[in-house]
Amino acid sequence: MTLRNDLSELERASTTLDDFGRRHAIPAAALFDVHLALDEIVTNIITYGYEDDAEHEIVVHLSVSPASAPRRVEVEVEDDGRPFNPLDAAPPDVEASVADRAVGGLGIYLVRRVMDDLEYRRQQGKNVLVMRKTLAG
Amino acid sequence: MELTEAKKSGAVVLGVNGRVDATNAGVLEQRVLGLIDAGEKRLVIDCAELQYISSAGLRVLLVAAKRLSTGGQLALAALNHQIRDVFDIAGFSSIFQIYPTQADAVAALQ
Repeated sequence: MTLRNDLSELERASTTLDDFGRRHAIPAAALFDVHLALDEIVTNIITYGYEDDAEHEIVVHLSVSPASAPRRVEVEVEDDGRPFNPLDAAPPDVEASVADRAVGGLGIYLVRRVMDDLEYRRQQGKNVLVMRKTLAG
Repeated sequence: MELTEAKKSGAVVLGVNGRVDATNAGVLEQRVLGLIDAGEKRLVIDCAELQYISSAGLRVLLVAAKRLSTGGQLALAALNHQIRDVFDIAGFSSIFQIYPTQADAVAALQ
């Protein structure tokens, strides 16, 4: 699917992912995590990725690895925003007290924790992030 | 996202239903901070009908907790299993008072 850089597109992304999950009988718990990861990454791109106010395209590919067990969901997100490697993002201090806890910085951390595998490359002026989650059983 | 509001034994119970993400977290923030600005000191967020929350929503809860950390109390109730997992990962389970039911949360704030 191709999304515009507008937060209202999150709903369409979510609906498309739900359909995909149903078609491939992805267990609810794993699908929840993929929803969270896609949501956080796309939100991050739309909110912080662009230096202009122009319309941009975010291209998302969803796939499930072939019949071989265990199956694996793969989400590829490609955007033409400023270079951003989520793997370089500093993790938040998740043990800090309420008073000391920084507001923000959680999204990318959640992505890294709920997905099994992340791969980032900068390719022809675009960020390409591949996120994978292995399905149990 | 749908919000419901009730007052029980002196605490405001805000029901957050459906999905909270970056598109509507601002609405939740306005509502929660509005209650705090209006002088409410005891706030229960009832998550029984909450199906999904992203970091945008977690951020609002943290802001509310910070605001209520002096002279107020915040409790969360009835988180489903998956949302509880997100709380655990984010380290929120240790900084929030979380109760199995709305009634437990209201009772805890007495």
